[in-house]
Amino acid sequence: MEVAEFRAELHAWLDAHHHEVAPDFDPPGTLDQRIAQMQRVKGILYEAGWMRWGWPERVGGLGGSPMLRSELGATMAARNLADPGVYSLVEVLAPTLIDYADPDLAADWVPRLLSGEEMWCQGFSEPGTGSDLATLSCRAVPDGGDPDTADTWIINGQKVWTSLAQYSQRCVLLTRTGTPESRHRGITAFFLDLDTPGITVRPIEMINGEREFTEVFLDDVAVPADRILGGVHGGWSVAMSILPYERSSCFWQRIAYLYPRVQRLVDAVDEHDDRAAEAVGNAFLALHTVRARSRATQHRLAGGATLGADTSIDKVLVASAEQTLYDSIRKCTTGVMELDDTPLGDVARIEYLYSRAATIYGGTAEVQRNIIARRLLELGEEG
Amino acid sequence: MHAAERALLEETVRDAVTRAVDAGASVDAVLGELGWLEMLDAEPRDAVEIVFTALGLANATAGVLDDVLAVACGVEPRPDLAVLLPRFGAWAPAAEAIDGEKRIDGLATARGATATDLLVVADDGAAVVPLAACAVSAVEGVDPIGGWHRVRGVVTGAAPVPVGADRWEAAVAAGRRALGHQIAGNGRAVLDLARTHALDRVQFGRPIASFQAVRHRLAETLVAIEGLEATLGAAWDDGTPITSALAKAAAGRTARTVATHCQQVLAGIGFTTDHPYHLYLKRAMVLEGLFGNADAIVLDVGRHLIHTRSAPTLIEL
Ligand SMILES: Cc1cc2nc3c(=O)[nH]c(=O)nc-3n(C[C@H](O)[C@H](O)[C@H](O)COP(=O)(O)OP(=O)(O)OC[C@H]3O[C@@H](n4cnc5c(N)ncnc54)[C@H](O)[C@@H]3O)c2cc1C
Repeated sequence: MEVAEFRAELHAWLDAHHHEVAPDFDPPGTLDQRIAQMQRVKGILYEAGWMRWGWPERVGGLGGSPMLRSELGATMAARNLADPGVYSLVEVLAPTLIDYADPDLAADWVPRLLSGEEMWCQGFSEPGTGSDLATLSCRAVPDGGDPDTADTWIINGQKVWTSLAQYSQRCVLLTRTGTPESRHRGITAFFLDLDTPGITVRPIEMINGEREFTEVFLDDVAVPADRILGGVHGGWSVAMSILPYERSSCFWQRIAYLYPRVQRLVDAVDEHDDRAAEAVGNAFLALHTVRARSRATQHRLAGGATLGADTSIDKVLVASAEQTLYDSIRKCTTGVMELDDTPLGDVARIEYLYSRAATIYGGTAEVQRNIIARRLLELGEEG
Repeated sequence: MHAAERALLEETVRDAVTRAVDAGASVDAVLGELGWLEMLDAEPRDAVEIVFTALGLANATAGVLDDVLAVACGVEPRPDLAVLLPRFGAWAPAAEAIDGEKRIDGLATARGATATDLLVVADDGAAVVPLAACAVSAVEGVDPIGGWHRVRGVVTGAAPVPVGADRWEAAVAAGRRALGHQIAGNGRAVLDLARTHALDRVQFGRPIASFQAVRHRLAETLVAIEGLEATLGAAWDDGTPITSALAKAAAGRTARTVATHCQQVLAGIGFTTDHPYHLYLKRAMVLEGLFGNADAIVLDVGRHLIHTRSAPTLIEL
């Protein structure tokens, strides 16, 4: 199916089914409400087939270009049917399972994620490991001592800032299986059931008052060996494989989510206020620039290109566009996010404060610039 | 155009323009020999992208912008036809039609020195008038080798061909895209100068390219240029004036980003006229203002969005 045709039919369908898919609460709602809404809508859209386009047939998909997924995610974000921050885990984790899990297991699991039956999370960061992922220390050892014959692996350690683990059934977890010095060569990825004994998940309150991310403690957690993704010591490439999807369809969704925020702003400001016009214009330019870039990136991906370091440019552009927009909102509606106790103020605060993370998660702004300097500009090693 | 064909053309045009600049020959003449006008007619997007990027890369002085504008106005382009450009920083036509007269006060490219005729657009339509009927003076300003001209005069008796406002709007959009590509080429050339310098220059016992502060400045520059190139692609695909306006705004912002970061990296050597950097900076300072600088366009777009109470996505997958 062509993207334009898909878009037209999807919009027509959503218009016709508006009452079924629309949230039954006023924004912002609680995180519980937003998660329930997303899972419910995923279920409806899966039943109707929309959630299956762009995914391979061997995992219950209907095939077609991954751009169909971008289009669906973007439409859900633009219509406020699902928050792209939480929805994006579908795009981040399903491709990993498809590429690295046993094909039968992938065929069993992926539809559960797509249909809203399950949620999954991503356990990479640790208290001592943020930007330098290769230092992670959460340890996995083969039960019995032999990695080649062990049926079970035992995991001990801690993860932090794990988004939505408290709602998730499963987690893609990175562990240390080599020596501490082995860096990226000694990492193994597991697909872990979060109801396994020994796992404790504790939500952490974020700067905007939400409890979206968590700490995950792992205490002698036993995981079957067939839950290893990408082989023993193959975890680094699993982690890196997430990049192209995170940097294409997820960005497209985030961008689609931001346009209605500009719309809200242009509806709110005074027509004769040139300070507001300037702020709106700046936000719109930044957003248009990253939309143009992301569109080009997705066409390259669809044309068979392998995405790599070049997507650090997309990442820098999307983060700065998001922050420019919320800076403009703050400037033009001064007092709302600071002191308005109505839901309007709540939404403004929650979103503004969340936007500050755009230069932190998914690789910080500085790390992206390091990659651009090293890989795209070929400036050699840092001193 | 096929990718291979395009790559070949790109190389041919770049070589020819660079050689013309080095030899002090007429870039317009060289482009004419390469079939510029035929290319502009047959494959306008490829032609403008390739030629204006090459002009930017080589910091070449030319008058081919006039051909792009003439075509957009619906007038047959020719090497001896100059087009009246808006006043610096503006994008409204630089001529007023009052009582059958055209009062002209605008700019012209290098073609102001060689053309015989001038295409003038005013509210009553477009007219081709003898350039000799106007006072044409070379402008040195910050970019003395840019070939810029100021054109003034009052012209009577020129029968205007009616052209709709949408034609001028299309000309502004076409001019903005062309200038956007020239600024992108200019930026790429400057980034290359700064990158080479960073790798060669040793301080504190190592190449300055190893310092993170330097690396991040150059990374920031690349992000701006690639963002600009994406907006140019979107402007061509979309074809409505607003995406070309946004591309020119991105170009203006990019020119500033390039200058800020690359000049800092080039430091002392880049502050001399022995180094080519200053020529690129000075050209970009003029290109930035033609058909509106970034701040003016951003304000205009912002006003438009607020006036229409709409923030459309403009481009789709
Ligand atoms: C909202 C949110 C959701 C998240 N969700 C998840 C999740 O679901 N799963 C998960 O695993 N993680 C998640 N994270 C964690 C995120 O991936 C990390 O915060 C991120 O990788 C940065 O690590 P850090 O916070 O430890 O910062 P650090 O790496 O300690 O960096 C601190 C500062 O130093 C800078 N710095 C570090 N190294 C360099 C360098 N080489 N050069 C220049 N500057 C440098 C950084 O840019 C930053 O400014 C989430 C984070 C947030 C904010």
